[in-house]
Amino acid sequence: MSDDIRYPSEKPEHPYLDSSFSGMLLGTLVSRFCAGCGYGSIGQLYTRVFEDEKLDPNLYPLVIGIGCYSQIFFLVHKNAQKMLTLHGRAPAIATGMKMANPKMKPIIFSGDGDCLGIGGNHFIHLCRRNLDCILFIFNNSIYGMTGGQAAPTTLYGAISTTTPYKMFEPRSDGVELALAAGASYVARTTIAHPRTLMKYFKKALKHKGTSVIEVITPCVTYFGRKNLDNLGSEGEPGEIMDTGGKMFEWIKKNSIHINQAKFMSKEELFNKYIIGEFRYNPSKSEYSEEYKKIQNIAMKGD
Amino acid sequence: MSNGNGKRFLKPGKYLMMGNVAMAEGALSSGLKFFGGYPITPSTEVIEHLAKRLPEVGGCCMQMEDELASINAVMGASLVGAKAMTATSGPGLSLMTETISMAANIEIPFVFCDVQRCGPGTGFVTVPHHNDVGLTRFAGNGEFEVIAFAPMSCQELFDLTITAFNYAETYRCPIFILSDAYLGHIHEVVNIPPKEEILKRVIDRTIPEDTKGAKFTYEDINTHKLMIPKPYIVGTEFCPPLIIHLPHNQDGVLMPEENSLRFMKIMIDKIRDNIDKISLTEEYKLDDAEIIIISYGLPVRASYRAVDLARKKGIKVGIFRLITVWPFPKEKVKKVVVGAKAIIVPEMNYTGVIAEQVERVTDLNIPIIKVPKVATLHHPDDILKAIEEVAK
Repeated sequence: MSDDIRYPSEKPEHPYLDSSFSGMLLGTLVSRFCAGCGYGSIGQLYTRVFEDEKLDPNLYPLVIGIGCYSQIFFLVHKNAQKMLTLHGRAPAIATGMKMANPKMKPIIFSGDGDCLGIGGNHFIHLCRRNLDCILFIFNNSIYGMTGGQAAPTTLYGAISTTTPYKMFEPRSDGVELALAAGASYVARTTIAHPRTLMKYFKKALKHKGTSVIEVITPCVTYFGRKNLDNLGSEGEPGEIMDTGGKMFEWIKKNSIHINQAKFMSKEELFNKYIIGEFRYNPSKSEYSEEYKKIQNIAMKGD
Repeated sequence: MSNGNGKRFLKPGKYLMMGNVAMAEGALSSGLKFFGGYPITPSTEVIEHLAKRLPEVGGCCMQMEDELASINAVMGASLVGAKAMTATSGPGLSLMTETISMAANIEIPFVFCDVQRCGPGTGFVTVPHHNDVGLTRFAGNGEFEVIAFAPMSCQELFDLTITAFNYAETYRCPIFILSDAYLGHIHEVVNIPPKEEILKRVIDRTIPEDTKGAKFTYEDINTHKLMIPKPYIVGTEFCPPLIIHLPHNQDGVLMPEENSLRFMKIMIDKIRDNIDKISLTEEYKLDDAEIIIISYGLPVRASYRAVDLARKKGIKVGIFRLITVWPFPKEKVKKVVVGAKAIIVPEMNYTGVIAEQVERVTDLNIPIIKVPKVATLHHPDDILKAIEEVAK
């Protein structure tokens, strides 16, 4: 590929520049993420869906937890109601918002440490209630904002600043947890599959009930630079993942579609991400609708 | 279909009510629409009562998975414009402090009932101990001011809860009601006023006509007076585009780091400048008093009897009662204690949180006598003994 095609002299205008918060404030897309990070793409994809689906910002508030991805508010749609909340508490805040104004459908952004670590309890109970909302788990398998500590999702054998020898704890699986807790739409995809992510997001917008979408994203700075793409396992020599491209390749290689995974053994699936749609159950009763029925019983004779 | 407001008010008249229930009814009267709670002795009756009553008025009562979730759900509900509250006890309060500090920053109002029990740790769960008085003042990281009420009867629990909700709407800071295990479980006659009378007192959550106005507290450039606008509502036009708990200006836009001090000043001065309007106090036989009792909550009831008994013996003693404990009415207390022979502070804790505050504003030569009680109530004789000792 010649440099002319890769770096055209005239920069094409970004089709969603005017729609993004950063475009509105600064006239250009500003990302505060490291090179190779996946969150920039997620912010853009959110803006695209928001613009294409013409979502009403008053009905789709965006509740953001704490993590690297908190900075995503620069890239999301300018009209979206953005709220930076507390570490791990976003599902609980969304519950209060939804129940006080049942017309709303909160969209929750949370990370892996945020949702499966500190906020694990809120996550489980959000899924159990099947409250109408969309919960994104951005899984980069590391605590990026604090400088690369091990997360509950860190893969076996990975090196992090708090697991300097290797990660030896079994990892937590957000999708399995959501399935067990009772979420009615559960899917996992990666940022290397952006169109699938948009498809799942649009499907979740039409679904009534808790939608959990886990997105595998790369963290080059704190995960990739310190780890080999075989995560220290014996056999083929691994290569260090110090660029975004290498991490994208690793994520693609490490992700197995659910249909394919059915025929694979547990050992073969070890340290792999299974992607695809795990559950879609539109008939499961939704919490705020059930509560409406309780209100109707209580209000009788008023 | 009806909106359920028909059941919001009880029929006017006299009711025999438990303290916790009186507080819940007070909240309903002031338009409570969301309650998030987690059962904890001795506050459980609040959630039990509201689970039945809130759906009747079209509201929502949720039993959340823990205290952290309940306070966050309350904040979420308040963000979208519902009057919201929670009730808990000391151990729950310590869990909730994280969200209290965030709510103070983004100026989201809610009312918080703390039915105190004997601590520290899990402690004795069914006895009172005013040990959270200090915690409520410093609940959460960061600097901010709170308002705390200390009712002493079921009637006051009903009335002050309405006032608490009004303060929440006006001053946009965390509001506490400091009840305790005995006050929460005591059964007393509560006089419920007619609906119209209550409605006259209640400040509703409404969107101002000029929705382009400021969303957060800010300083008027010309007069340097702090303006406290109505709380914004998520899901309406009257809302900043980005809600963030970092130093921000009146529209929610981030302030540069060097302006953080100004932000802190705004957050704290909005309460301190209005302290005369906020702080509620009561005086009893104070005009010619030489010995002054300063107290709040249940010990005040014993103090009334002690003062009457002492007056019969010819001792000039009076009571200065704090209805709002925080912000501490420094100037008012300063005026009261001038020339006093002694100050007696009966409190239901050993350290004497308010006694320390009184010490702060009193001359060094005026003795301050603490009458501590933990897990039991003050007997009038306890206070009378202290009065007689200093009157000698």
